[in-house]
Amino acid sequence: MEVNGQLALTVLMGVFLIAVAAWLARVEDWRSYTPLAGGGTVGGTAEQYVSEEKPSGVIRWLTTVDHKDIGMLYGAYALVAFAVGGLMVVLMRIELADPSMTLISNTFYNSLLTSHGITMLFLFGTPIIAAFSNYFIPLLIGADDMAFPRINAIAFWLLPPAALLIWAGFFPIPDVIPAQTAWTMYTPLSAGVGSGNQMNAGVDLMLLGLHLSGVSATMGAINFIATIFTERNEKVSWANLDIFSWTILTQSGLILFAFPLLGSAIVMLLLDRNFGTMFFSVDGGAILWQHLFWFFGHPEVYILVLPPMGIVSLVLPRFAGRRLFGFKFVVYSTLAIGVLSFGVWAHHMFATGIDPRLRASFMAVSLAIAIPSAVKTFNWITTMWNGKIRLTTPMLFCIGFVSNFIIGGVTGVFLASIPVDLVLHDTYYVVGHFHYIVMGAIAFAGFAGLYYWFPIYTGRMYQVTLGKWHFWLSMVGTNLTFFAMILLGYGGMPRRYATYLPQFATLHQVATVGALILLVGQIIFVWNFVQSWLEGREVQDGDPWDLADDDLVTAEWTWFERKLETAVTDGGEEETELATDGGQTVDDADAESADDA
Amino acid sequence: MDEAPGLSDQYRTASPWPVFIALGIPISELGLLFGLFPLAVGGLLLFGGSVVGILKESGYVTSTIRAVTALAVIFLAFGAGLAFTDIALVTRGYAVIAAAILLVVGGVVFELFVREQRQTF
Repeated sequence: MEVNGQLALTVLMGVFLIAVAAWLARVEDWRSYTPLAGGGTVGGTAEQYVSEEKPSGVIRWLTTVDHKDIGMLYGAYALVAFAVGGLMVVLMRIELADPSMTLISNTFYNSLLTSHGITMLFLFGTPIIAAFSNYFIPLLIGADDMAFPRINAIAFWLLPPAALLIWAGFFPIPDVIPAQTAWTMYTPLSAGVGSGNQMNAGVDLMLLGLHLSGVSATMGAINFIATIFTERNEKVSWANLDIFSWTILTQSGLILFAFPLLGSAIVMLLLDRNFGTMFFSVDGGAILWQHLFWFFGHPEVYILVLPPMGIVSLVLPRFAGRRLFGFKFVVYSTLAIGVLSFGVWAHHMFATGIDPRLRASFMAVSLAIAIPSAVKTFNWITTMWNGKIRLTTPMLFCIGFVSNFIIGGVTGVFLASIPVDLVLHDTYYVVGHFHYIVMGAIAFAGFAGLYYWFPIYTGRMYQVTLGKWHFWLSMVGTNLTFFAMILLGYGGMPRRYATYLPQFATLHQVATVGALILLVGQIIFVWNFVQSWLEGREVQDGDPWDLADDDLVTAEWTWFERKLETAVTDGGEEETELATDGGQTVDDADAESADDA
Repeated sequence: MDEAPGLSDQYRTASPWPVFIALGIPISELGLLFGLFPLAVGGLLLFGGSVVGILKESGYVTSTIRAVTALAVIFLAFGAGLAFTDIALVTRGYAVIAAAILLVVGGVVFELFVREQRQTF
């Protein structure tokens, strides 16, 4: 039996490798050889290859090393992961509408809880940021492409296998169950110790997937650092580098120091689980894991939030009709957050009984990080103050970001204080706090970016009214869900449980209603996104947001304008005026009624 | 509109190798972690071959056979470390060694037969 299995696997692997070789031979024939990184060309002048066309169909997407295509791949991937992670949590919230175990089993709830966290942080959060940075950083800094285009492609293609491994436990594979370790993977549970079922291969697969996603993020980070340092156009200096590039540069620095550590810790855990090492099973092993994990885990929070802050800092001034107030200080605060983020990790461990003197120092740094965060917040508010505000969908999401970030941030300041933390630790208060940041802020900034740049990457305009429905449902849903969680935490409801005491039922039901409102909002988003992409009005103007009126045009729109100008005309006449969602020259009422039809 | 020259469209924008490098890593990891010999060998072959392919394509190496050999030496050292030291993960070590040997064989075959054929086009 065992031998047969091995034989089958060998044959399968052999056939697969031969298929790969055959496919490569075909593709290689079709290609011409032009070294990309080497700079020179083989047997000919560079001009011969300038008009190189991309292959068509699926092969184009499988072989592309163009930063814009890879950005699109990242975006598509992230949105699929967002849908998966979102549907997981909808199931969980429906289960939580009732205090007892009704819809799904407690163990399945634990599995969903684990996968929801990992999916949203590693398969949605990081990739959606990479989508924007891949597409726009080279355009913003006037680079031809990323510094290492092929590494860029490798970094993306590591992600689909990572997702399959992370979700492997949910697939019908015999003897494999989903991990139930929560995204923090605390030992000894995750080391498979004891009588539980976490020795299962599903946990190993999840760890491998997580490791892969870390490798991918690290590759991307190295690429962005190299690109921003070396590939800038000569007109782009450090003094006039845009805010989004600054945040991506800082984020990449954080990734460079944080993710390899996660990778190492995961390898140690895998060795503990499979090869009998004892990194985490000796005395102090559990606390060692927490130190290693959170030394990565807390910077990870800033890895996820800094680029969205950059998007908001870029988009919000465009619709306030002014330049970003205190630009320099926004950059300084970004760098300050980047540095401080490595000095706060043990605030996740205040309740573990570590040395009180250590706790105090971590409390001090954690409180201090509120200062640069507040600098940003006040700068956003001051940018809008007395500005010519245009409440377009991306602007609404930016304002929603600021609003939610304030609630998420202030609740975090309380948690940074040791005595408060000891009361609220492991309650829903923590869950509410960080969801205000990850959903209310990070996802909102993601949506702001998706709407703001929609004309660039689709060549079309989204439907204005649907965009506003999406925003308001998301805003109401987010605040309903996560404010209820904060109140639940004050009431003492512990996190991570599939069942609870009846006294918490009302607030849990409020949170569930909020989650369902969020679901409706996201369905509208998907509809709007897909339909507008396929059938939306084509953008004819390189400046659909009328940024030129306030002298706020950035490089990516200049690029877009050039692209439109050089496009081959098809001779068709434009039928209707473009709906620019807040643009001055457009008859909004007409556009909206047309979109609604 | 898509055919319009953008900033980056003037450069080579396609390479077949990244997908296979990205597939080779998880396949070999799975094989080595769970001790599945064929997966480990196949994954390492896929990974090693694609690395050489991408290095050749981008002009970082000129000789396929030398790049393959260099990679095989690294694999050999790693495999020997697994198989013949106190780590004593013998099957996994042999899998890596087998991959190294097959990689060199593949490189030689490519050098002797495939490359010449292609040059006749």
